[in-house]
Parts: sequence; structure tokens; C-alpha cells
Amino acid sequence: MPKRRYLGFSLPVLVGIIVVILALGLISLLSGALGRSFFGDIGLPGWLSVPQPHPELPADVVFHLLGFPITNSIIAAWLSIIILVGISYAVTRRLKLIPTRLQSLLEATLGWLLSFCQEVAGEKNGRRFFPVVATIFLFVLTNAWLGLVPGFGSILITNAEGETVHLLRGANTDINLPLALALISFIFVEYWGISSLGGLRYLRKFANVGRFFRGIGQLLRGRLRAGLTGIFNGAIDVFVGVLETLSELIRIVSFTFRLFGNMTAGEILLLIVAFLAPWILALPFYGLELLVGFVQALIFAGLTLVFATIAVTHHAAETA
Amino acid sequence: MDAEAIRMLAAGLAMGLGAIGPGIGIGIIGYGAMQALGRNPEARGPIMTNMILAIAFAEAIGIYALIVAILIAGKILG
Repeated sequence: MPKRRYLGFSLPVLVGIIVVILALGLISLLSGALGRSFFGDIGLPGWLSVPQPHPELPADVVFHLLGFPITNSIIAAWLSIIILVGISYAVTRRLKLIPTRLQSLLEATLGWLLSFCQEVAGEKNGRRFFPVVATIFLFVLTNAWLGLVPGFGSILITNAEGETVHLLRGANTDINLPLALALISFIFVEYWGISSLGGLRYLRKFANVGRFFRGIGQLLRGRLRAGLTGIFNGAIDVFVGVLETLSELIRIVSFTFRLFGNMTAGEILLLIVAFLAPWILALPFYGLELLVGFVQALIFAGLTLVFATIAVTHHAAETA
Repeated sequence: MDAEAIRMLAAGLAMGLGAIGPGIGIGIIGYGAMQALGRNPEARGPIMTNMILAIAFAEAIGIYALIVAILIAGKILG
């Protein structure tokens, strides 16, 4: 009769592994700030303790290139660009009918993204929106997950002014990148709306003065009641148009701050948890950050998709 | 009360009070989604997708409060 195996290990080995993990957890608790405030300094080696974090919002400049200051988050964004373009190029250089492992990973990812787009936007529009939406998703995801790799926030370098700054920082934590992505998403949503419905008809959503002026015309022609209802409904239409314009513009701000806030809050959380209880006890928060990165990428791409779908569908009631 | 004390108080209040609304909102969204799922387990896909979408909107408001708290505590605002 085979011995009972737990998770692939026999019982003594499993107990041994759990004891080792608990011991490491205890050491990590003792060496962090929490342990030091409870038990005082019990003489653990200096390399076990983490210095107090000083999170700061603007990204630090590392060097200057052609007059532009290159910050550490720009370097991280370049790194994720290199990774994404590199993987895509390596896979598509020799496509095989029976795919290799990397090719099937890429195929699975893109297939899932395409089905997501088509589920939300319909078949034709889904395929049309797919490139931009998938790019936004993959870029935000790579930036978010790359920020968790060891080396981000710990490698120090001395820049031209002589300050010691971090070499790499998660690209989504600099507010300029979410702002750029939000602007791109806004421009593309408007472009898709105009190219689907025709320029004037799409822009009429924002400046719906037709009924208002028709009401004035009817009033001048002497039809009092029709004129007044026309003017009243027309005024409501104009007001709704202004609200629509404002909501389009507020959308840019909302996208930016949603992504920036989630990523920065996650980074500060990881810094503080690593300061309080480094090593093992900080691992669940890394898991949380993985999840948050994935969800935020999905939200950004998904909301772009939803707003694009709304923009290209015909107005249900144009002339009530 | 000196400025430092009021700064700490402001940061705490901004985040604390700003988290009440989104917290309750996300709870209500989850409640609606659970009810819908219970009535019609086959519609799991669209229900989950729309629930995640609505939760993202509600959570963004909480994030705005966090931004204000960070700005106040970091002496960038006020």
C-alpha cells in the first residue's frame, strides 16, 4: 500500500517544511519594525532589517538625454516595451503550425483578449477595437508586474547631480504614464465614434441644439404651444449635451487617477509592509499586488472598450 | 493646534471619510451581483463582467480620497 502523500511530500517532510517556514516567519517578524518595538533589539544581524521607507510621488531623474530628463519610471517603461516587443518578435519570427510553448502562450493570451473584446463590443467592432485595447492591457500589466520584480526600488545609482536615486521604479507609479494612456484611450474613443457614425452626427451628441432652434422657429411662426415645448425640450437637450462633454473630459482624469492611485498605493503598501515585517510575512501582499495589477490592467482596457462601444452605437432616440 | 497636528488630522479624515461611500457602494454592488447570480447561475459571465466594471467605478472614488490624503500628508497640498 503506497504511503499517504501530502502535496507530494511524505508527512515528516511536510512537517519539516512547515516548521522551517514558521521559523523564517518568526525571524522576519522579529527583525522588522514590529518586532523591534515589541521585543527591543535582540541582536539580529544588520542585513535583516529594512530601513524606513520614504515614499515620494514625483519620479527621480536619473540622467539627461538630449535635454530631456529621463526618470527611473521611464527606464522601467522602456524595459517593459523591450520585453513585450522582444517576446512578440521572437515568437512571430518563425511561426509553426504545431506551436512551441512560447507561441502557444502568446496565442492563448491574444485569443483570450480577442474573445473579451468581441464579447463586449460585438464581432466586427471587437476585432476593430482589439489592437489598441490589447496593447493598453498588455502594457499596463507588464508595467505593474515588472514593478514587483526584485531590483525595482532597491538598486541605487548616483545621478549627474550627485544624488543617490533608485534606478528603476514601477512605471505606473509616475502620474505621467497613466495620463498618457488615458489621453490615448480618449483620442481613440472619439476617433472610433467619428469614423463609425460620421463626424457631424457623432459630435451632435455633445451640442444637441437642433430641437432648441426648431422650437424657436415654431414660436416665431406663431405656433405657441409647439414652440414652447420645443424650446423646453431643446434646453434639456443642450444641457444633456454639456453634461456628456463634461463626462468625456472627466473620464480622462478618472482613468489617470484610478490607475495611478492603485499602483502608487500598492507600492507604498509594499514598502511599509517590508519595513514592518520583511521576508516571509510580506509575501501575501505581493500576491495582492499581483492581483491588483491584473485587475487594474483589465479595468483600464475594459473601460476603454465599453466607452468605445457606447460611442459607436447609434443614438437610440434622436428625435423623440 | 499647530499646523502639523491639523495636517495629520486632515489626512486621516480625508481617507477615512472618503472610504465610507465606496465601501458601502461596493457592498451594494456585490449584493446585487450575488442576487442575480442566485437567480440565474447560467448568466455568470455577463454578471461577473459587469460587476467588476461597476466595482472599478466605485473604487475609483475611494482612490481619489487616497490621493488627497497622500497629498496632504506629503505636504504637497496645504
